[in-house]
Amino acid sequence: MNQLQQKYQDRITHTLSKYPDKRSAVMPLLYIAQEEYGWVSPEGIDQVAEICDMDATQVKSIAGFYTMYSEKPKGKYWLQVCTDLPCALRGADQFHEDLKAYLEVEEGGTTADGMFTVEHVMCLAACDKAPMLQCNFHFAENLDMDKMKVLIEQWRNEVNQQVNGSR
Amino acid sequence: MVKIYIDDREYDVPAGMNLVDAAKWHADNDIPVFCYHPKMEPVGMCRMCLVQQGAIEKDRATGEVVLDEHGQPKVRWMPKLQTACTQRVTDGMVIRTNTAEVDQARQNVIEFLLTSHPLDCPICDKGGECPLQNLTMEHGPGMSRMQFQDKQHLDKHVPLGDLIYLDEERCIQCARCVRFQDELVGDDVLAFHERGRRLQIITNSNPGFDTYFSGNTTDICPVGALTTADFRFGARPWELTEVPSIDPFDAAGSNISLSIRLDRDFGGKAMIKRVMPRQNESVNEIWISDKARFGHHFTRSENRAQSPMIRNANGQLMQTTWEEALKSVASILKAAGKDVAAIAGSQMSNEDLWALREVMSAVGSTRLGAWPITHAGADLVAQVGVGVGSNLGDLGKGDAVLIIASDLEEEVPIWRLRLKLAKERGVFLAVANARHTRMEDFATACLRYDYGMAAHFLSNLRAENPDLAQQLAQANNLIILTGAEGLSLDGSRALMQAAANFLIETGHVGKPNNGLLSTFPGPNGMGQYYMGFTPENTQDIMINPPKVLIVAQADLYHDDPSASQWVHEVETVINLTLFADETLSHEAHTILPIQSFAERDGTFTNGERRVQRFYTAQGPIADALPAWQVLSRLGEKLGRGKAKLSAATVMADIAKNVPAFAGVTYKEISNVKRQFPDVGGRDLYYGGTAYQNRGGLGVQLKTTAESGEAINTAPVELVNAPRSQAGQMLIVPTTVLYNRERTFLPSALMHPRVMMPYAEINSADAAKLGIKSGDVVEIVADTMRVRVKAHVNGGAPEGSIVLPRHLTTEAVPMTMTLGRVSKVD
Repeated sequence: MNQLQQKYQDRITHTLSKYPDKRSAVMPLLYIAQEEYGWVSPEGIDQVAEICDMDATQVKSIAGFYTMYSEKPKGKYWLQVCTDLPCALRGADQFHEDLKAYLEVEEGGTTADGMFTVEHVMCLAACDKAPMLQCNFHFAENLDMDKMKVLIEQWRNEVNQQVNGSR
Repeated sequence: MVKIYIDDREYDVPAGMNLVDAAKWHADNDIPVFCYHPKMEPVGMCRMCLVQQGAIEKDRATGEVVLDEHGQPKVRWMPKLQTACTQRVTDGMVIRTNTAEVDQARQNVIEFLLTSHPLDCPICDKGGECPLQNLTMEHGPGMSRMQFQDKQHLDKHVPLGDLIYLDEERCIQCARCVRFQDELVGDDVLAFHERGRRLQIITNSNPGFDTYFSGNTTDICPVGALTTADFRFGARPWELTEVPSIDPFDAAGSNISLSIRLDRDFGGKAMIKRVMPRQNESVNEIWISDKARFGHHFTRSENRAQSPMIRNANGQLMQTTWEEALKSVASILKAAGKDVAAIAGSQMSNEDLWALREVMSAVGSTRLGAWPITHAGADLVAQVGVGVGSNLGDLGKGDAVLIIASDLEEEVPIWRLRLKLAKERGVFLAVANARHTRMEDFATACLRYDYGMAAHFLSNLRAENPDLAQQLAQANNLIILTGAEGLSLDGSRALMQAAANFLIETGHVGKPNNGLLSTFPGPNGMGQYYMGFTPENTQDIMINPPKVLIVAQADLYHDDPSASQWVHEVETVINLTLFADETLSHEAHTILPIQSFAERDGTFTNGERRVQRFYTAQGPIADALPAWQVLSRLGEKLGRGKAKLSAATVMADIAKNVPAFAGVTYKEISNVKRQFPDVGGRDLYYGGTAYQNRGGLGVQLKTTAESGEAINTAPVELVNAPRSQAGQMLIVPTTVLYNRERTFLPSALMHPRVMMPYAEINSADAAKLGIKSGDVVEIVADTMRVRVKAHVNGGAPEGSIVLPRHLTTEAVPMTMTLGRVSKVD
C-alpha cells in the first residue's frame, strides 16, 4: 500500500468503486494526488499509476493534457485570475497586475513563503462578478485590491493557525 | 470485390479495404500520408490524406443508378474533403485525388506542419529518405509564410531511453511511435504530453523507452524526430548502399538490410552503418528486434581473429599462411585416422556446415556435433514442422498456438511480437511454463507445471487438462512452439516427441500454419540438423572425446562449464573462429580465422525451415575467409575434389545430396514478389520505413508430412527430472536477449541494457537461506561456480533458481541441474 492509499484509503476505495475498471479512476485519483502534494508530483503520478495499474507514462500524459492538473509545484493558495475580455472590461487585467505587484510575483510565480501562486486563466464563467479569481478551485468574486488584501491576510492566518494548531 | 472510381477510372478492389491501401495497391495512386501506417489502426490525425469523396447515387426505391443529363451516373459528393485513411472502400465509391481543392488542402497541411519544423534537412539524419521532405517537395507550397522568429525552439536531444533520441522540434505529432508501442508491442511507454502546439512525445516510465522493439519507431517515424543512438549523425542515407542480410541471432531469421558505406573508421572498407528491417511478410513483416538492429558491432570487434595460427613445438601460437595452415590441418586429420569429430555452432551457414561435413566424410568420420546442446528434436521439426506457406500473420480466429517451456520474448522476440498480434486477431494462445514469462501477459490461457515436467505435462494433456486439450485439438490450425527451458537434452527430446504426437493425433501436420516450431538458438538450428549435425552427437563427443576435434564457430568455454574437462582430453583442437581471444585459443593447435555473416554470402535455415540468403556487405577482416571456403580447400587437400569457388556452388552440392534441399538454388531463394503492404518502394511516404525486399523471400523446405509419407507417432521417452532436495536446488538456466555472449558484448551501446549477473530466487527459499534481494549469492553445481546478485521475487518457483545464461563471465550449464546456493558475506 503506497502513501496515498494509506492516507486516503476511504476516498480511494470509494472512487475506485464508482468505475467498472481501475483505469477509469485515474482522473479523480490525480486530484487526490494534487491535493496531497500541492501539485501532480512525480511521486503522485507513480502512486496513481500503481493504484490504477497503468503505465506511469500514460498517467503523466493525462496530467499533461488537462490544465487543471498542475505539473509544477504551486503555493498553498493557487490564485487563478480571469482576464478575458468581459472581465478585463471590469478591470480584471489591472487587478491581475496589482495583485502580482502586491505579492511581488511574476505571472505564474509563487511567493517566497510558498503561500501564493498567481496566474491568469481563460473564462471561469463569472463575468458578471468580475474581477474574480479562483482560489484552489473556489471562487472569490467582485474583488478589488482592498478586499483582496483582507482575503490574503485571512488566508495567511488560516495557515498560521493550522501550523500553530498542529504544534 | 467492389467497384470504386479513382480519378475517373474504375477499379475492382476487395470490399472493406483501407482506401489509402486500395489506391496504392490497385490503382498505383499514392495518396500522401504521415500518420497513417498500414500496420496500424488509422487515426486521421495529420490530415495529409484529404481527398474528394463521393458515391454513385442510386434511386432509393428501385436501387437503379441515377443518371445525369448526359446519361452519366450521378455522383453525390461529400460537402468537404475526407481523410482517405479512415475510409474503407464500398461499392460505387468515387474518389478524386487530383483536383485543385485536394492540391490546395495538401499544400496547406504541409505548410501547417512546417510552421515550426526546422528546415535543416541537410544536417538531419532522415534527410534523403524523409517522408516530410519528399511530400514537401511534391505537394508543399514552396514558400513559407512563416517568419523564422516565430518558430518554437525546443529540446533537440531528449533521450527516451538508452537507444532512442527525440528531437522535439522535428516531431510532427503523428503518434506512429506511440501507437506502435501500444498496438503492436503492448508496452505503452510512450505517450503525448500537453496539447495543441505544445504537444510532445514523452516517456515517464522507469526504465524509459526500453523495449526490445524500440528501434522500429525510428523507421516508422515520418520525420527525423526519432533517431537511434547507434546511427545518429553516423552517415547520410544517400551515401548508403543497402545489402540484404539475415538476422544472425535467432531462429526467426528476420530479414534485415545492412546499410554500408566506405568508411574511414574501418580503414576505408565497406562498413555497416546501421541495420534496417527488410520486408518479408511471412517472417518478420517490417519489424526487427533491437538485438538484430544494434548487435552488428561484433563483426568489427578488435578481437576478431586476423590470420591463421599454428602452435609450434614450444607451444606458442605462430602466425602462418592459409596454405601452410591447411596443409598442417590436413596432415593432422590424415594422421588421426577416423578418430576425428567436429562441433559446429548455430551461426554457421548451411554452406559452411556442408563443407565441414565433406571434410569429415573425407576422413571417414560421422561424429558431427551441433552446438549448443540445449534443444533436441530438430528431426521432428523436419517431419511435422509448420507447413510450406506458413505465416504467423495469417493466424486468426479459430486457430490456436501453444507455447511451452519457452520465454519467447527473450528467445525469439519477433515471434513474440507476431503471436501477440495473432492473439489480438482471435487466436487461442496458451502459454505453459514453470514460471511467469512476459508472453503470459498476452496469453488466452496460462498454465503451470513443475520444472522438468514439460513433456509429462504435454503427454498427459488430455487426461489432466481436457479443456485445453480440446481447445487445441479442435482448432482450425494449431502450432506448438517449444523451448527447452528447465529441460535436459533428453527432456527436450521427450517434449518435442510429445508435441509431435499431439499434432499428428489431432491432424495438425503437413499443412500451412500447422505443426511444430522450436526456439533453436542461433539463426541456423535447422540447418545444423539438415547437414547432419546433432546435439546427441555432441553429447557423445563430450563423453568420448576424439583425438582431433574441429570446433567451428562454437564458444565451448563460454557455453559449457564442463568444457575445460572434456576438451582437455582431446589431443588436437582445430578452431575455426571469429574471435582470437576465445578461451579455446589456449587449447587450440590451429586457429583458422573465419568471416562473420556480414562479410560473406551464404544461407541460413530458420526455425520454420525457410532457407534464406544473406549477401556480402562489410569489408573483410585481415586474412579471415568464409568457413565454407576454408573447409572446401581443406577438403581438396584430403582428396575431395576441387575446392568450391562460391557459396552458390556449395548450395548446388547440398541440393544434390540433402533430400530436403532438392531443387533449392540461390536463384530460387532470391526470388521476390510484391508484398502487401507496399512499403519502402518508390512512394514518397514510407521512406526509411523498411526496405523493399530485393534480396529474396527464401524457400521453405517441405516437411516429410507434406511429401505424402505416412507420419506416425512414437512413444515419448519421459525422463525423470531431478527434484530439489535437502540443501540442493534446481538450477534452471534461462535465456535473456541481452547478454554477454561474444557476438553481442562488442555492441557497447547495449551495455546499459545488459543486466548485471543475477539469479531469481523464490521468497520462501530466500527466507530459508537468509537471502535478501541484492545479496550476492554463490551458486555451485558440479562444474560450475558463479557469484550473482539475488533477485528475490515470485519469478522462480519454490525449490528452483532461475539463472540466466551468458550474463556471468563463467559459463552456466546449458541444461537444468542440481546445485547449492549460499549467501556470500
